[in-house]
Amino acid sequence: MKPEEVAGVLGPKLGDKLLGVDPFEGTAGRVRFDRSGALAMFTSARDDLGFAHLSMVGGIDWVDHREVVYALWSDGAKQYLLLSTNVPVDDPHVESASGVWPSAAWHEREAWEMVDITFDHHPDLRHLLMPDGYAFHPLLRSFKLHEPEELEVKSRHV
Amino acid sequence: MGRLSAASVPPPTPGPASASAVAEELVPGPVREPGVPFVEIEAVRAKEFVPAAKEALTDLIAEQGQQKLIRPVFNWAGRNSLFPLHWGLACCAIEFAAAFGARWDAERFGVVPRSSPRQCDLMIVNGTVTWKVAHKLVTLYEQMPEPKWVIAMGNCATGGGPFRTAYSVVPGVDKLVPVDVYIAGCPPRPEAMLDGILQLEKLIRERKE
Repeated sequence: MKPEEVAGVLGPKLGDKLLGVDPFEGTAGRVRFDRSGALAMFTSARDDLGFAHLSMVGGIDWVDHREVVYALWSDGAKQYLLLSTNVPVDDPHVESASGVWPSAAWHEREAWEMVDITFDHHPDLRHLLMPDGYAFHPLLRSFKLHEPEELEVKSRHV
Repeated sequence: MGRLSAASVPPPTPGPASASAVAEELVPGPVREPGVPFVEIEAVRAKEFVPAAKEALTDLIAEQGQQKLIRPVFNWAGRNSLFPLHWGLACCAIEFAAAFGARWDAERFGVVPRSSPRQCDLMIVNGTVTWKVAHKLVTLYEQMPEPKWVIAMGNCATGGGPFRTAYSVVPGVDKLVPVDVYIAGCPPRPEAMLDGILQLEKLIRERKE
C-alpha cells in the first residue's frame, strides 16, 4: 500500500481533517490529521484500510507543542501505518482510541503519566508505571532530575 | 519425656475428700526403696510434670534472670534458622538464587527461603526499589513476625545505585524499612551475600533484647 492510496481512501472520509500523508520508510505512510477528527480517523483506518491491530501509542514533547503517535499494523497488507496529530501545550487533549482498539487503553495510560496528554473518554485513566498520587510527568522536557532528598519530599505518597 | 527426679515431685498430702480423690489418681506406680539402684524408667504423668517443671523453671529464671537464661537460646536458634523472604526485584535476585544453588549452598547456614512473609524473619532486598513497589515492600515487611531483620543487597537497595537521581527509584531502602546489614556490589557475588548473612548472625548473637 502506497501513501497515495492511503490518502485516496482517507480523503473522502475525513475531509479537511486530513492534513497530509507523507512517505515513511518501512511503512505505508505517515498520516497527519487534526485532533478534532480523531475518532473518524481511527474508525476509517480500522474499517476502510484494514489496520486492525494497534501496535503502539506514544507521546512526544516538542516543547512548543506535543505530538501523539499511533503505529498500526495490518495483517492483510503486512504493513505498518503511522498516525500523528499535534496537541497544544496549554490544552493537551485528544480523543481516546480505546473505543476502536481496546488495547490502546494501556498505551494511553502510559502516555498520559509520562508526557501529560489527556485522552478524552478513556475508560480508566490512572497511573500505570508510577504510584498513585505521583506529582510529576517525568518524560516532559521541563522535568528536571531531582536530588534524592528533594524527590523524596515531593513524592510523599507511600 | 525425660525422667523427673522423685524429689521434685510433691508427695500427695491428705486433705479434704475431693482433694484426696485427686491425690489418689496422682500416686506414682513403684515406690523407690532407699539405697536400691534406680533401674526402671519412671512414668511421669503430665499432671505431675507441668507444675513441677513450672516451679523449677520459675526458680531458675528468678535466680539467673530471664535475659541471661532465655536470650542466648533464642539467639542461637534464630541465627541458625534465618528464613529469608523468597522474592526478587532485579538482577541481584539472580545472585540470590545462585547462592541457594549447589555451588554456594546457603542452606548449610540454615538459610531457607520461604514464600510467605508470615514464615520469614529476614527480608533480603535484592534489587532496585521503585516508588511503585515501595508500599508493597512495606506491607510485606509488616506481615513478617517479630523478631525480623532486613539486608539491603547491592548498590540499588543500599542507596539507589546508578538510578539514584531517577524519577522512579527510592534512593535506598532504608528510607522505608530499618536495615541491619548492607552488602556492596553491583550485583554482589553469592559469597558476598553469604558474608552478609554471617555478619547478620554476629549481630543476632550479640542481641540483648
